[in-house]
Amino acid sequence: MATFKKSGGLRELLESMYSVIALLFILVACVELCDAAAAVDVYRLIQYDMSGSPFGSRFAALNHHAASLRFPPGADLSRTVLIIPLREMNMTFVREYITQKKPLGGLLFLLPEVLSFKHGGNKQVYEKEKMKKLLAELEQLLVHSNIPYPVYFAFENDDIDTVLTEIKKNDAMGQPATATTGGYKLVIPTAEPKKVASPTITNIQGWLSGLKADGDANQLPTIAIVASYDTFGAAPALSVGSDSNGSGIVALLEIARLFSLLYSNPKTRGRYNLLFGLTSGGPYNYNGTQKWLRSFDQRLCESIDYAICLNSIGSWDNELWIHVSKPPENAYIKQIFEGFSNVAEELDLKVGLKHKKINISNPRVAWEHEQFSRLRVTAATLSGLSVAPELFEGTGSLFDGRQYVNESAISRGVKLVAESLAKHIYGHQGKGVQIFADESSLAANPAYIRSWLDLFSQTPRVAPFLSKNDPFVMALKKELADHVDEVNVQHENLEGIFTFYDSTSARLNIYQVASVTFDLLLLLVLGSYLIVLFCFLVITTRGVDDLISLFRRPPSRKVKTA
Amino acid sequence: MTMFHFFNCAILTFGPHAVYYSATPLSEYDTLGTSVKAALVYLGTALVKLVCLATFLQVSENDGFDPYQELLKALIGFIDVAGLYFALTQLTHRNISQNHKFQAVGLGWAFADSVLHRLAPLWMGARGLEFTWEYILQGLEANANLVLSISLAALASLIWLRKNKPKTLIPIIYACAGIVATMPSITSYLRRGLGWYFPKVVGFELFTSLVMAFISWQLFSACQRPSA
Repeated sequence: MATFKKSGGLRELLESMYSVIALLFILVACVELCDAAAAVDVYRLIQYDMSGSPFGSRFAALNHHAASLRFPPGADLSRTVLIIPLREMNMTFVREYITQKKPLGGLLFLLPEVLSFKHGGNKQVYEKEKMKKLLAELEQLLVHSNIPYPVYFAFENDDIDTVLTEIKKNDAMGQPATATTGGYKLVIPTAEPKKVASPTITNIQGWLSGLKADGDANQLPTIAIVASYDTFGAAPALSVGSDSNGSGIVALLEIARLFSLLYSNPKTRGRYNLLFGLTSGGPYNYNGTQKWLRSFDQRLCESIDYAICLNSIGSWDNELWIHVSKPPENAYIKQIFEGFSNVAEELDLKVGLKHKKINISNPRVAWEHEQFSRLRVTAATLSGLSVAPELFEGTGSLFDGRQYVNESAISRGVKLVAESLAKHIYGHQGKGVQIFADESSLAANPAYIRSWLDLFSQTPRVAPFLSKNDPFVMALKKELADHVDEVNVQHENLEGIFTFYDSTSARLNIYQVASVTFDLLLLLVLGSYLIVLFCFLVITTRGVDDLISLFRRPPSRKVKTA
Repeated sequence: MTMFHFFNCAILTFGPHAVYYSATPLSEYDTLGTSVKAALVYLGTALVKLVCLATFLQVSENDGFDPYQELLKALIGFIDVAGLYFALTQLTHRNISQNHKFQAVGLGWAFADSVLHRLAPLWMGARGLEFTWEYILQGLEANANLVLSISLAALASLIWLRKNKPKTLIPIIYACAGIVATMPSITSYLRRGLGWYFPKVVGFELFTSLVMAFISWQLFSACQRPSA
């Protein structure tokens, strides 16, 4: 009986011990990342492969000590993260580090808070041109290099500023932070970045039918107005592209709204169909436009009189440019350009013509109209830029935020395009007739432009990171559907030579850590304290003899008996 | 690194208790049972205090010093003293001299106090990457607490266990016991009412604990002397 009870009790004891041990393991594995000195939102540099070659920052997780630019020369930085605020950026230094592939633990760039679309608001940007130039240079360097360590962008705030001043103080004293000297540690606990599986690009097209006279069997001619809505930038989570190409899309939506007003009444409906295209894949040599055009049937293609592409019309002062690929002597080009120039004169602004030949063997497509031209459709791009941008240049960079665009510039652009189109559609040859005059019911609505521009300036739109049914794309489709007769959405896969990796934003924890030497020193101090305490207590309670006897070996028996 | 820091703070907080036990004759006379019983009595006292605090105290929005609330807390703190009385007098101890009895009870009391108040924050906090001085200061506070507990146990044993005390010393004994018993209220007044920072408060605690220990040692040895 007794043994039975005993074994049963023993089993119970063992079982309870297992649960205790399990609980202990859970506790041990528990939260180690508690309060940090600061926690900041950070945004990672883009990581992509183009035709197999890797570009961008190849790592995401970070767990290194921090240093500023004032590190002692000759220090080993392979396990250090450099924190570089934009004001103190030394371009040659960064370029040297990246191009010569010097070992580094990581890079953290601090951008002025005014550029943040979450907190910056509409504050004034000082030294706009200088910052724009610097950011453009930095972005081009980073986007086209292969960087084997994490690169992050963050916005300056009070926490991170205090941390940075402390780091600078420590560095100035000649002690960069390492495991043995304490300092600040930057930790970003994310998983390794994974490939984005089959990135989709979504093209939205809207069709506004013209007035077909009874008994007219022929297809009405079509005019296409196109703009691309997606962006690409060094930090995809920050790439809002207010000017490139938020301004183009906002102008397109406004033009669609104005013409839908005109076309709603059969008396004012023109004899032209209007085709609105919101294309994606713009930064990738207008891949989306190409796929969209390929999906047209032959009759539609032939019926397009001409296409106007809108690109970056939000930050110009007096002069807009019309870029064409057919020679300016071409009759159609002449007609388009004359139409625009006449309207421009009336609106008191200048329009210039720029011709850039297409090189079929060169895969680089700098303007959207080139995709049309390759299919023998007359097309032109209206843009505030005078020079064709390079690959991944100016397609939603870090400075391209709300402060960079000018609503009135967009309004004037809208008026220019709308009036020119109307002149062509309704055939007014004379001057002095303004259909979309200010103060009329057909005037460009500044509130509409402003609200859509604000929305665009808060939405990063890098195509691989937009899902198939992304709410923003659906919103664009819905808005277009309000203005046109028929809307179609086309989903395509992005061209195979590009591969993108996820993990675009994370949370950075900054810890103030003590060095190993400090812990060892503390251990030494505590050990000696306890020993002193022990000796003190033995002496006071038992006497000094007892203390000494503790250290003397007990006398062996032989000695005692002897 | 972080477990290292936890280990350091742990030996600072709990080491002195073990050292005290092994260094003094307590280990020779095997008074562990007494200490354990005292620790359990402390646990019971803490529960009773918790219930009383929950019932009678109001939660204040600001962190200021409210005299009425603090008075209430001090009164509830005297439950501590009652618990100590219980541990000293009512528990059956094996035949150990009074000298060792109060030390064992004080040790057990202080150890239970440290474990209950300081182990959990230490485990949760000291293992993190972020370094603060807080846990080292907490360890020093635990040391001061040990000295204070032993002095309080000594004075309490003088009050209740020793029958023949010199008449002149009795008021002093009661005064010192009162001061040591209200130590928690005094420290909370310093922290909240005067706004002292934690290092300053810990320094004050260490200083007063040494002073009170010295005074109670003198009183104890004075009462040891056969009364005239």
